[in-house]
Amino acid sequence: MKDLPTKDILLFRSCLVSVEYPGVEASTKFVFDKLGIDYAISPKQTCCTGLGHYSDVFNQIDTSAIGARNFKIAKEMGRPNLVMMCATCYAINKKSVKLLNKKDKLRNHINNLFEENGLGHLKYEKNDLKPTENIFHVVDILYAKKDEIKKHIKYDLSDYTIATHHGCHYCKVHYEDTIGGVRDPNIMDELIEECGCKTIGWYDHKRATCGTGFRQRYSNPNLSFTATADKMNAIADEDVDILVHLCPNCHIQFDRYQDLISKREGRKFNAIHLNITQFLAIAMGGDFDKVIGVKAHTVPIDSVIKELKEVKNER
Amino acid sequence: MTFKQKLNDSPIDFAIEIINDVKNSKDEGVLKCVQCGMCTSTCPAARHSDYNPRDIIERVLAGDESIPNEENLWNCFYCYTCHSVCPVGNSVCEVNQILKQIAIAKEIGYDKLYEYLGFADSYFTAAIGAIPERFFPDIDQDVPGWWEFRQNLEQIRNELELDPLMPSEEVIDEVSKILTITGFKSKIERIRASEEVEK
Amino acid sequence: MRDDLKVGVFLCECGGNIADTVDLDRVREELDVEFIGQFENLCSLNGRKLIRDAIFDRDLDRIVVAACSPISHEKTFQDYIKPLNPYLMDMANIREQCSWVHSDNEKGTDKAISLINASIEKVKQSDAVDPIYCQTPTEVAVIGGGIAGMNAALSLAKQGTKVTLIEQSPSIGGHMAKIGKVFSPVKIAEECGMCLLNPILNDLVWNENIEVLTNTKVIEAKRRAGTYNLILEKSPRYVDTEKCIACGKCAEVCEVEVPNDWNDNLSMRKAIYRPFGQSYPESYVIDMDNCIKCGNCIKECSMRAIKLRGKAERIPLQVGSVIVATGHKLYDMEKRPEYGYTRFRDVITQSELGRITGVNGPTKGKLLRSNGKVPKRVVMIQCVGSRDENPDGHKYCSKICCTVALKNANIIKHKNPDTDVLICYTDVRTPGMFEKYFKHTQENGVRFLRGRPGEVVRKGDHLVVRTEDTLNGEFIEIEADLVVLSTAMEPSEGTNEIAEILNLGTTEDGFIKESHPKIKPVATDVQGIYVCGTAHEPKDITDSIMQATAAASKVSEYNHGGVEIEPFIAQIDIEKCTVCGECINRCKYKSMSIQNDEIYIDPMSCTGCGKCLVGCKQHAITVNGNIDEKIFATMKGILSNKKEGERMILVFLDNIGYTAADNIGVNRLSYPESIHIIKVISVNRVRPRHIRYALENGADGVFIGEFPGDLMYDEVERKIQGVKDRIEELGEDPNRLTFSKVYIPYFSGLARKFNEFDAKIAKLDESGK
Repeated sequence: MKDLPTKDILLFRSCLVSVEYPGVEASTKFVFDKLGIDYAISPKQTCCTGLGHYSDVFNQIDTSAIGARNFKIAKEMGRPNLVMMCATCYAINKKSVKLLNKKDKLRNHINNLFEENGLGHLKYEKNDLKPTENIFHVVDILYAKKDEIKKHIKYDLSDYTIATHHGCHYCKVHYEDTIGGVRDPNIMDELIEECGCKTIGWYDHKRATCGTGFRQRYSNPNLSFTATADKMNAIADEDVDILVHLCPNCHIQFDRYQDLISKREGRKFNAIHLNITQFLAIAMGGDFDKVIGVKAHTVPIDSVIKELKEVKNER
Repeated sequence: MTFKQKLNDSPIDFAIEIINDVKNSKDEGVLKCVQCGMCTSTCPAARHSDYNPRDIIERVLAGDESIPNEENLWNCFYCYTCHSVCPVGNSVCEVNQILKQIAIAKEIGYDKLYEYLGFADSYFTAAIGAIPERFFPDIDQDVPGWWEFRQNLEQIRNELELDPLMPSEEVIDEVSKILTITGFKSKIERIRASEEVEK
Repeated sequence: MRDDLKVGVFLCECGGNIADTVDLDRVREELDVEFIGQFENLCSLNGRKLIRDAIFDRDLDRIVVAACSPISHEKTFQDYIKPLNPYLMDMANIREQCSWVHSDNEKGTDKAISLINASIEKVKQSDAVDPIYCQTPTEVAVIGGGIAGMNAALSLAKQGTKVTLIEQSPSIGGHMAKIGKVFSPVKIAEECGMCLLNPILNDLVWNENIEVLTNTKVIEAKRRAGTYNLILEKSPRYVDTEKCIACGKCAEVCEVEVPNDWNDNLSMRKAIYRPFGQSYPESYVIDMDNCIKCGNCIKECSMRAIKLRGKAERIPLQVGSVIVATGHKLYDMEKRPEYGYTRFRDVITQSELGRITGVNGPTKGKLLRSNGKVPKRVVMIQCVGSRDENPDGHKYCSKICCTVALKNANIIKHKNPDTDVLICYTDVRTPGMFEKYFKHTQENGVRFLRGRPGEVVRKGDHLVVRTEDTLNGEFIEIEADLVVLSTAMEPSEGTNEIAEILNLGTTEDGFIKESHPKIKPVATDVQGIYVCGTAHEPKDITDSIMQATAAASKVSEYNHGGVEIEPFIAQIDIEKCTVCGECINRCKYKSMSIQNDEIYIDPMSCTGCGKCLVGCKQHAITVNGNIDEKIFATMKGILSNKKEGERMILVFLDNIGYTAADNIGVNRLSYPESIHIIKVISVNRVRPRHIRYALENGADGVFIGEFPGDLMYDEVERKIQGVKDRIEELGEDPNRLTFSKVYIPYFSGLARKFNEFDAKIAKLDESGK
């Protein structure tokens, strides 16, 4: 098990979280505060380039140069632990750190460009950050505080049928660092168990993509939605009420397009879609409007969670 | 039909070029491929289209430099499933990305990027990756209520007590500068010019 | 005078293994000796001619062979330098400790030159001495009662050797007993495995040279002289094997039912049980973890064989050699969850299929699914856990899975010709005669699909295998009602444990390593210990039997030929000795005793550590071979070659540490070029004055490694601490000296320590500037 930090954290803002599901950021802060995790947000930090990168517009040098700037900001704040709310930010930043440490040619090239253009203050030195010691996803940090989740749980969500969808870019890109399995990912199932709930565990296509496929959703919607339908059908086969994920890309695909895919498949899909931090925040008593941000959701949260049951025998 | 391999042909050069690309994180993984097909067995694009990741590697190893022209290449979801299960430690997903960059460098992939130039533009205007506006009508049609939600975003964010969305001018300037000196900006301009010509 | 000796150096290219990394042309230029020879394979007979001719023509006095490790070829070259005395030759290890661990051509070449110079200086200090021949006890312990261990024991017993066969489970027989049917390459038919095993089992049971100990494990091993003192732990069986007649009445009345592990948990057995019909000893046994002590069995047993109380018994065993045949286990299917083994009852392993199709199995040989129906289609998935570089996978091919799948496919076809059998493969590996069996399987209508499936899921009442048919490039979902996984073979827990207890070298995959597959097959890194069967690497029954026989034969060689001992041991000058007995007290190895009023030194147990020398007031003890001078000379040879700015670290290792260091090279790991290894007969012979000399003459650091199992370990550790204190008094940094544990199996740990020590010394050098 790698060493998981719970302090000196820069909570890395995500473009999709910001404009599509801002409640994920509010829920992350809410849960982090409850668990006593030391973090901050920087107005200087910018987007990881993930969307542009995976639509092939950005090449590696562009992405890593932007990364180098963000890494410098984190380091100078004394918060070298980058923690991502989005699986793609996690994959992108981790890869940039790995490449900047390992590939001298790339690092020197970027540093020279910085130097020659008056951006010398952004230069990245080898091993400024370490991929396994400084780059994390929010779920990693929650996992480090797993044992403390229980005592903050206010509401009992165990009556719902819950399944997890682990984002590909968290599990599979840097699979050697993934906590809780890659071939049968389970880190979120473990976190949900700490809320006194049991997930359905494995289901067909559990480890498959949400179907976003970056350019597929826009340029190739047929292909994209067919892949999503695999997943939605499998979830419906198991009568799932709540699908929990950890990435805003997946979140958009499932929440925004559920009705469309229902029509395509001729089958009504009813699950609601929550980020793991939103799920935890609900269980911990977060306000639906002020913390969870339910207004951003297309599938109404209250279509499934109609009322909240308080946990009995609170310690 | 007979394919002739001449004494001076060196089909492995193409694979070596890919291995040497900065994006490749799998060392000589490509060369160890035994065409077992596990990548294709787990690939969502192979399941629902004619994309075949195993075949991509077979052709790379055969030195087939025409693959960057291949239409199917663009069906990859970048889900990295092949990358995470490959028994010999290869990554078709990374090879695919490298092949596409080769296509773009040769200007044959430009038309694939036209729709996505908005991702580049938003960096220069807001230092953020925003969904390109040209997709808005589609989204609005596919996702009822989305447009209204977007109109209310500022209010929802205020209710959640989040920091302002837009970074400062200095930040945007710095990011624009970075993307200028890496050659990104001029590449985008070339692509845009090419789009204009096609129009 | 020693400086006038004519030294000849012979460089081996080792077919490129050395010459590709070390620039031998430059080596030749920089050496200053009477004669330099070079050959592509110095260990060949042509190499011998080159060496001999040079010795005669140039009248050489001393020889240095710069080649592989002395552990591989010292004996060969001692023979090749005849008529010179074997101890007038020294080997510079420029392969395992140079070309295989360094990739930088220039630095590697510099180091090779230093190592050769060290050998030149050392060999000048050598004198002609004669080796001592000794006999070890002939008794043998065979660990593991599977097909390999049984055959090894039987072969030795038939040659008149006393053997103790040690098996940790309640019966001997191993995997072969449960395999069901077997076949051999020459036969295009499957035969009853138990019927082939039984004659061997009977032979073994009746052979009076063999004692079989079941429920028994080796828990401790010490080596003294040529003798292994093993401590065995025999767990209680709770049933007296002398009295039990295996009538089975006890099991009939037993109330506890638990999964039957011999049937891969596919059926149930009682808490008192007999593992299988032909198990030996022919007696029941109680599984005390599950027994509820109701006493029913005691009441039922007319032979009064059952006792519910019992304690583990410790048994000492003295043997001269050991054969390790501790076998393998099968891959843990939880590591490949996508195949659904833990979720679906109709996803099974080949081993389970063997039980299901075995007449003594859970379905009495009928091929049935979990719902009791005959499957319409069986899909087999090959290479599960094998040929897989992913985390938790094995890089190697498990070698038997292709033929096991073919065999089980044929058995299914014999029993149920209408059942469709499809084998999903990446390569069908059927070398030699097995290819004919492959063709036979195809003739039987078994189908093959080239592709490595991605996952197995359930749809309704059947399973679906998702794969690509790579030969036509199509993604395909295959409906099946039984899926069989061909799981990898990996070292058994017993194999891991015994490697640790006996300090045996292992491969990166955890199997027991042969010392050298071509020069010393079946021998391990430890003298007198041999390996056979799947503890060594994946192999089939036939190969296990052959290797077992080879191991038995190597033990016989050892028992008949005796052991040649290096003569660098203590000697007593009887004229001076007063038989005060001080040396007897001091010797940790108990090699000194009084015989016929004189001190006798057992050559097998004396290590030449020199502890007795220091305590002898009469100065009556010497250790042969100019050891002190040789250490000085070796250091001088290395350090005199030091270049400006070069970092040099001297590493002193005895035979065990040296073997571990060799294994770093054999496994192609690396460590810094600064590391220069000096082999000593005992690290206790590295005196404080040696260490001081090293540090004063250019060594940047000194690393001393010792195996904690060595009796002198504590003593050496204390001594080093003393030396550190003195170094500090002399104003040097004591951090330049380090003492470290070394183990043969943990060669990667030793490589890491070399790297860390080098980095530490580099820092010290840096701050000193």
